[in-house]
Amino acid sequence: MNVLASGSFWAFVGVVAGIYTILALGLQVQFGFAGLLNFGQVAFMAIGAYTMAILVVKEGWSMWLAAPLGVVAAGIGGLVLGLPTLRLRADYFAIVTIAFSEIIRYVATNETALTGGSQGTIALGSVGTAAQYNGQWSSFEARVQHTLGFSSPDATMLVIVWATALILLTLTWLALRTPWGRVLRAIRDDEDAAASLGKNVFAYKLQALALGAVLAGIAGLFYAWQFSFFSPDDFQPLLTFFAWMILLLGGIGRVWAVPIGALVFGLIFAGTRFLNFAPFSWFASDERAYLRLIIIGLIILLLVVLRPQGLLGNKREMVLE
Amino acid sequence: MSALLEVQDVVRRFGSLRAVDGASFDVQSNSITGLIGPNGAGKSTLFGTIAGSLKPDSGRIVFDGRRIDRRPAYRVARSGVVRTYQAARVLTRMTVLDNLMLASIGHPGERLTGIVLRPRGSRKRERETRQHAEELLALVGLDSHAREYAGTLSGGQRKLLDLARVLMLRPSLVLLDEPMAGVSPTLRVQLLEHILAMRRERGITFLIVEHDLDFVMQAADRVVVMNEGRVLAAGEPQEIRSNELVIDAYLGKAHAPAG
Repeated sequence: MNVLASGSFWAFVGVVAGIYTILALGLQVQFGFAGLLNFGQVAFMAIGAYTMAILVVKEGWSMWLAAPLGVVAAGIGGLVLGLPTLRLRADYFAIVTIAFSEIIRYVATNETALTGGSQGTIALGSVGTAAQYNGQWSSFEARVQHTLGFSSPDATMLVIVWATALILLTLTWLALRTPWGRVLRAIRDDEDAAASLGKNVFAYKLQALALGAVLAGIAGLFYAWQFSFFSPDDFQPLLTFFAWMILLLGGIGRVWAVPIGALVFGLIFAGTRFLNFAPFSWFASDERAYLRLIIIGLIILLLVVLRPQGLLGNKREMVLE
Repeated sequence: MSALLEVQDVVRRFGSLRAVDGASFDVQSNSITGLIGPNGAGKSTLFGTIAGSLKPDSGRIVFDGRRIDRRPAYRVARSGVVRTYQAARVLTRMTVLDNLMLASIGHPGERLTGIVLRPRGSRKRERETRQHAEELLALVGLDSHAREYAGTLSGGQRKLLDLARVLMLRPSLVLLDEPMAGVSPTLRVQLLEHILAMRRERGITFLIVEHDLDFVMQAADRVVVMNEGRVLAAGEPQEIRSNELVIDAYLGKAHAPAG
């Protein structure tokens, strides 16, 4: 059967797009509204996922307690990163964030006793056992599936992820429409002007960074639940740049551009997966894998050139000086 | 009259350059004080140290009896000292109205805790802020542009918006950095009238850096002349005009009184 015709394949694409929506929403708060060039967003995802998994497996905590703590830990990670670095100029801050995300990944790879090291969460428990953090989540998912009367767990996950994403999108949208959001936008446009109007620029940036980190932490939880296993390799810097591509595709400074960008990004990724017809079939399969990435890059490049403001962005806002 | 602002022996270095090198002067309450001097005299640096965006290396800045030289810029602004920039720093990607509504101090809705815990208080404050903003827009004649992006305004309109935004903060001391630079003759008259009215009706004190000497001599009660980081002379416009040191360093013979 053609995979493209399978419902569970598209449900998977949808779930991943939903997780990316939450991840990129955090970036939208940080960059789209507060102007913070964060290239280390994936680190907060890792902190959320690892905190949850470690507390469940090693400490035997209930997942319902461990999961919110994972989100809190991600937020604290944002504060820890921001306190010493947010006074840096934008470009230096960007360099520090990417270094931060690599530090987190390397710590996760090398602190084997804490994280299971490069073997991933399967090595979280005692030697010779395959650790699982997903038991409570699976039974919750099964209950939801039963309640909804769905036949597949994929569709259930799709509903849970997108319901969460929609709630978070709505909350973010509402928060950014308040006077608080107005101050953030002012800081994005001209932080000196904002300071001379009595705004504590540093405090607002810190809040935006931490809130974006919290959202990434939530994305990390769903990532962990969706795949039932993860390792430091899942948190490569590439994931941060996927989130950036979603922002570029959807439009910067628009909350509802994030899910649009994530869906388009998901479709481009999934749609280029099966390039097994001519002329692609002339290439060997490993060559095709690279060819696919080249094609994805070209499509995104084309979209950005043709619509620099993104699908939902406002072109006039881009040219105002 | 008493001194609203006291600048005492302020020094600010950039590397080995002493941009401000022991400057001292007072700004009297409800006065318009002009700050003049050649380029590189340290006027803008001094402005930065008063407004809190630059920390002085030594010396004191006292506003309304309290030292403000250790405060960050946002706290200086909250205490009633508001600066403008040479090129009006309007927020181009926000509407004209939002630019004004932004300038509200102690708005509970600007804090996340305020939005959650004091939703009514912040909505009420937001209504008051909007009303105040609309009044000020009407005052400077920008009310018809309220919903437009500030980036679509002309240079002169931006100056007016900047001035209205300063008023939103209900300041007691306003620092204007070259308000007349790049301004048409008509707008020049308008700006001067606004400044005089702001002093008369709202009791605002002004410290104005300006190269347009006609404007300074016309508007200012007192003029402070800076040269090479120090105060060269201070006094009434007439005294300054005839001060030999000032004529040599800055004014040149053309501005000296005839004879």
